Amino acid sequence: MDLQYSEADREFRERARAWLVDAVPKQPRPAHGAEAASFDRAWQRKMYEHGWAGVAWPKQYGGLGLTGLQQVIWYEELARARAPHYINTTYIALMHAGPTLIARGTDAQKAFHLPKILSGEALWCQGFSEPNAGSDLASLKTRGDVGNDDIVVNGAKMWTTDAKYADYQELLIRTDPASERHKGLTWLIGDMKAPGIDIKPIRTMLMDEHVNTVFYDNVHIPLVNVVGEIDKGWSTALSTLSFERGLGFIGDQLELYERVGRAIDLAGKTRLEDGRFAIEDDGIAQRLASLKADSLAIRAMTLAHITESDRTGDPGPKGSLMKLLVTGTHKALSETVGEILGWSFLEFNGDRTEHPWTYDYLWSWVFSISGGTSEIQREITADRLLELPRAR
Amino acid sequence: MFLAPDGHEIEIADAAASFLAEVMPIARLHGAAPQSSAALRLTVGEMGWFALALSEEKSGSGLSPVEFALFFREVGRQCGPVDVLAQCLAVLLDMDDTARADLLSGSTGVVLAVGQGLRLLGSPDAVYALDVSPTGSRLLHLGETEADERPSLDPATPMRSITSLPTTAVATASGEHVWRMGQLGVAAMLIGLGEAALDQIVAYAKIRETFGRKIGSYQAVRHPCADMALRIEAARSQLWYAATALKEGRGDAGVHLDAAKHLANQAAVANADTNIQLHGGIGVTEEHTAHLYLKHALLLAKLFGAKRPLLANLLHAQAEV
Repeated sequence: MDLQYSEADREFRERARAWLVDAVPKQPRPAHGAEAASFDRAWQRKMYEHGWAGVAWPKQYGGLGLTGLQQVIWYEELARARAPHYINTTYIALMHAGPTLIARGTDAQKAFHLPKILSGEALWCQGFSEPNAGSDLASLKTRGDVGNDDIVVNGAKMWTTDAKYADYQELLIRTDPASERHKGLTWLIGDMKAPGIDIKPIRTMLMDEHVNTVFYDNVHIPLVNVVGEIDKGWSTALSTLSFERGLGFIGDQLELYERVGRAIDLAGKTRLEDGRFAIEDDGIAQRLASLKADSLAIRAMTLAHITESDRTGDPGPKGSLMKLLVTGTHKALSETVGEILGWSFLEFNGDRTEHPWTYDYLWSWVFSISGGTSEIQREITADRLLELPRAR
Repeated sequence: MFLAPDGHEIEIADAAASFLAEVMPIARLHGAAPQSSAALRLTVGEMGWFALALSEEKSGSGLSPVEFALFFREVGRQCGPVDVLAQCLAVLLDMDDTARADLLSGSTGVVLAVGQGLRLLGSPDAVYALDVSPTGSRLLHLGETEADERPSLDPATPMRSITSLPTTAVATASGEHVWRMGQLGVAAMLIGLGEAALDQIVAYAKIRETFGRKIGSYQAVRHPCADMALRIEAARSQLWYAATALKEGRGDAGVHLDAAKHLANQAAVANADTNIQLHGGIGVTEEHTAHLYLKHALLLAKLFGAKRPLLANLLHAQAEV
């Protein structure tokens, strides 16, 4: 075991740090809406033009071809430079759609879409979940009638983040009407401007409208947009999901230590109702210190997992453990800060910038439900890591 | 950078695992008469394990804190005696070669002094008590000290109390090194123990049936097992990080060790708890080993940093991340 960075790793860190110093936008990212989407595109475009787009992508597709450890370094440097957060409207394009096309797309699909994704020209959204197909994704019903040139889609997708700003969609539908479960599904590139698509925002408990229901009324999608094979979309979908469970939340994992530090600072200058500073309360102090230990463990676990998968080339099932630990720690931190802030924690108008801790608390459920609920992550752990008898 | 056992580290861990499973299997703790600690100590000494962390100039093995942690993880898997750690730490103090040779061979025994030094953990036939603090360590000659035998919750650890500390320090060491190695050793024992508890329930969940199904197919069993895996993975990752930071002499190794010890305390006790619960009735019987993990974890969790002092240290500590 060692904690030494190689010469190449150190050199990469220095280059990244030097570039980010001046490159990071001076204006903060708008919290919502079209302004946020255009801010994200512009920042992605800037990274692209200076050769910093696609840290996880292979070089032959215009990415940086970085090792897992170098990706860790990149996200650490982004955080250090206070760069815009990487989970924004470009996330699905860069972390899901691009890697899926690289793994499973045709040459034409790659040639057309990959440069647009890297440069921020095209934003993507994810069309997997449905009203009755969330964790049980294979029960989805949105139908695709396969013709000679195209597939005609009817149905509805749900929880589609930033659908209004997306140009394309990773769309998983049932093309064999007689099929069940994970058979008979097809993974398509959907054009969000196609006629017959109707987007209805879903207002969440965070008082925002980042997720949507997307309705499909006879939407024609050309057959050339099929990724993988018709009726065999489940295997393409699994490659999409594996990217998310690999390094999808790497930045959040690494940032937790900083966030615990901010909570400890806050406890040092916030008075409880009894007049003492929150940090003087043994219960609060113990919980914050314990969260600091958890945040260190999350970083150590991330480094252990990434250096291992750099060596073996296989990320394995430990991504589920990381998501569980990160989302659990995230929620516990928010709850502790809620105690520190007292009544003012309940002052919330939906503005993330003005009330970051309350927003993060509400977000903690989005985090532990989206991308595979905590219950599903435990199931994956039980199946794949512990090899317990199957429940299903 | 690589944060998992590698190359010769794996060989040492494997060698330790098979040696310890043979000479101190956890089954030894079932109601049997107390084993001859002196004989066990001689066997461990003969194989050279007490020299693990001692430099080669002092006739030690010159291995790093990483190998030290890997060895004690295996000791923990068997609920190994705390004396083994006391013996390994004692040889790190400044002393003459003859005294050290006796400790290395196991011909003289060391117990761990805790609770302001007035409580002795380990074999009653020991000649010395090791008193370790974060600022310095002393090896005390027990001589004629009257020790009062106390009942011990943990069958692996005989407990005695004394009313005053012996005054003769036969060896000393200043600074925090011995304390940090002690933290590392105990944290590693807790990790091994927490892993053993997880392995035990997973194996049982694959064979035990109830209501016509393997219990491992019920989410009420699967999810607590996944949580056990999560706790131990997090604590183990932090242990590897801390051991490596100590090996490389990093300035913040102490912070990472405090975090590792805290996480190991929690993970081991919680895993031992869940292991008993998921076993059902058989889990509370004397003949089962599940209770041995819990009792040993409760004891180890108090050594080299219990919850309160560890968290007090961590609150304002700065790690270089």
